[in-house]
Amino acid sequence: MCKIYYKIRLRLSAIACMAIACFALMDGSEAASQNRVPRVLILYPYDERIPATSIAGQSVRTHLMDATDGKIDLFTEFLDLARFPQSAHIDRMSRYLSEKYVDHRPDVVITLGEEATRFMNTHGRRIAPDARIVYGGFDRETAAELDLPTSAVGAVSEFDVEKTVALAMRLQPDAKRLVVMVGSSSFDQRWLRTAKVGLADIEKTLETTYVTGFSIDEFAEQASQLPDDTVLVVLTIMRDRNGRNLAPRTALERITAVANVPVYGPYSTYIGSGAVGANSVTFESVGEAIAKLSLEIIAGRDVADIDVQPRYLVDARQMQRWGFAESNLPPNTIVSFSKPSVFDEFFPQVMTVLAFILAQSVVIIALVFERRRRGRAEREARNRLHELIHLNQSATAGALSASIAHELNQPLGAILINAETAEQLLRNETPDLSLIRQILIDIQDADRRAGDMIGRMKGLLKKRSEIDWQEFDLNNVVKSAAQILQADIARKKVRLEIAHHDRALLVRADQVHIQQVVLNLATNAIDAMQEFPVADKRLKFETSLDAVSGKVEFAISDTGGGIATENLTSVFDAFYTTKAKGTGLGLSIARAIIEIYGGRIWADNHPQGGAIFRFALPHAGGG
Amino acid sequence: MVTATVHIVDDDTSFRTAVARLLKASGFDVESYSGSQELLDRVPDGPGCILLDQNMPGLSGLELQDRLLQLAPLMPIIFLSGAGSVSTSVRAMKAGADDFLEKPASSADLLAAVRRAVARGEAQRLEQDKLNLLQAVFKSLTPREVQVFKQMVRGRLNKQIAFDLATSERTIKAHRHKVMEKLHARSLAEAISIADKLGLLGPPD
Repeated sequence: MCKIYYKIRLRLSAIACMAIACFALMDGSEAASQNRVPRVLILYPYDERIPATSIAGQSVRTHLMDATDGKIDLFTEFLDLARFPQSAHIDRMSRYLSEKYVDHRPDVVITLGEEATRFMNTHGRRIAPDARIVYGGFDRETAAELDLPTSAVGAVSEFDVEKTVALAMRLQPDAKRLVVMVGSSSFDQRWLRTAKVGLADIEKTLETTYVTGFSIDEFAEQASQLPDDTVLVVLTIMRDRNGRNLAPRTALERITAVANVPVYGPYSTYIGSGAVGANSVTFESVGEAIAKLSLEIIAGRDVADIDVQPRYLVDARQMQRWGFAESNLPPNTIVSFSKPSVFDEFFPQVMTVLAFILAQSVVIIALVFERRRRGRAEREARNRLHELIHLNQSATAGALSASIAHELNQPLGAILINAETAEQLLRNETPDLSLIRQILIDIQDADRRAGDMIGRMKGLLKKRSEIDWQEFDLNNVVKSAAQILQADIARKKVRLEIAHHDRALLVRADQVHIQQVVLNLATNAIDAMQEFPVADKRLKFETSLDAVSGKVEFAISDTGGGIATENLTSVFDAFYTTKAKGTGLGLSIARAIIEIYGGRIWADNHPQGGAIFRFALPHAGGG
Repeated sequence: MVTATVHIVDDDTSFRTAVARLLKASGFDVESYSGSQELLDRVPDGPGCILLDQNMPGLSGLELQDRLLQLAPLMPIIFLSGAGSVSTSVRAMKAGADDFLEKPASSADLLAAVRRAVARGEAQRLEQDKLNLLQAVFKSLTPREVQVFKQMVRGRLNKQIAFDLATSERTIKAHRHKVMEKLHARSLAEAISIADKLGLLGPPD
């Protein structure tokens, strides 16, 4: 009683829970329809090739998606201002974006870098009048210059070129010269101005040269011919003197590839591209800070600017290349690539393995083609073999036709005579009905026998192009072959003895093919005895299981003249024959058949005279 | 009249049974043998015939025929074969086979062949009986009577015979009368026919 009550209570509470869950769901969906998913537009100043903004943008995207569990509408626009700095293009972009987002005004616009922020500051009212701007990727000073609305917040970062030079000084304490390379774009030139201000103090101790207004090739050439005691700093080269647009990192790579002194730069993206070190914020951390601000804004909280702290960054590989000790680095320096990658460490091995894999692939491809070609050839050979096996079957059937006719005529003769006798009996005044009944039963038996015999023959005559795989007892095949041979054996006065293995000997093959082999060997043996005068003609079939090899064996021995020792192997070759009318194909076909099924066939002489032919096939029974 | 017995030798039981049944229904006695050896173990005798299958384990039909010609020369043999070839049938017939039938033979053909063979065998047997009788009678003749008989069936006159045997013509006449009486011959022509049957008309001694 108590238990039942408990169960009912449980059920009731379950129903209540479900009801509450339903209401909760309804509530949730209502909320969702009222508060639509926030829209955030990420504005890239350049195209997707510039790693700084790309890395920062990707970081923003990842953090926003993670934090909102994907429930956010992210839009992305590339302003491509490095390549299209003209005001006409800027106006066009402004119009385009304002029209594009007319029905989807963003709630937050994220501007990556100074130029995107400037663009948004000017055209924001048109594109997203109510949106909050979250900027990042430049310093507080630049932000102040931009005269941004108070609603705009930023993840500001201090790109401190002096600290980069200070890092270089720690690693190259004997340096006498400082060379600063910077491109020709307005962004580059801003850097030049910033650097000149920041490095004013350093110029007192180092002979400082600002290299600008060069083509990228000239920059590279300069870098390759510097005196040893030089600190080389590459700021940004977004455009060279020839007006060629470059991703700063690409430009840096051109320079570090040929530079004869260590190269430093103010960006984290330079690490890994050949620069030794930098004092910089990582663009990932800028992106993360921007995402954090945006989320606060979406959540409706008050936010202020965040400082993204710069760090010392070095490339361990470059440190090693220039022979710098890590002990000379400022504390808390982030050392990248410090552990050589598997690829670097085991470069020769990796290359060997790759070469090996490549070679292997080539071989595999070659083998695949070869296999196809061979497959075709094999199919053709198989068809030919089937043709040959069939011809041989027909020949065997022909040779045995007298026996077959005799075998068949027995039951047919019995049927005819039985039927006629019955008719005669029925003409009597008092027919012996029980005798007639017996006659009818005998007719049926004889008819069944004739049918069985025709069935056995059919396989010998039927043309097939495919192997009919079956699992069967070899003993049965031997029995059936003996029945086909019976009349022939009797006519030629051969005594047949059959020694069966006491258990079923299962093999997997085409039963007709194996029967064919048995018949071939048997007719050969009978002929051998016919041609060789022996008083006592004995043919023996024997089946066995070789316990060691696990193979099923069939042996057929005769009391004929045997085989000359030198011919024991050549008897299986095509066109080998000792018979005047032989084609010499029977045994070679027998071998082909046995080999199709993974077997082996061989010949031997009996010590008491006569030949023994044997074949072995894999046992399908498996033990 | 004595019933004729047909001896069937065939290793195929169903065929043997069918044939036996047919022959029994047609009024013959039937003996069945599953192989040559079985037949040789009890060589048949009396009125009837042998139905012999050509292909059998052990002795073939032709070989069995050879043996039977010695053991039971008066038993007509009919060959029945599923794989009859011209050469074997010719050999069989030359060796005195009565018929050579090919399986499947109709019962009409088979019965006709059996009846023919049995009748011929019967006639042969009758002939043989007569001959046996004659031979018995011939053996009852005295040496002198044999001499006279041999001379007279060659058409020699009493005078000539008496001269050859250095006796009188009267003595020969008496011998001659005795011979005719013993042989139940009523005329010289009959005596000559008997001599022929006894094989006495070969070239002169």
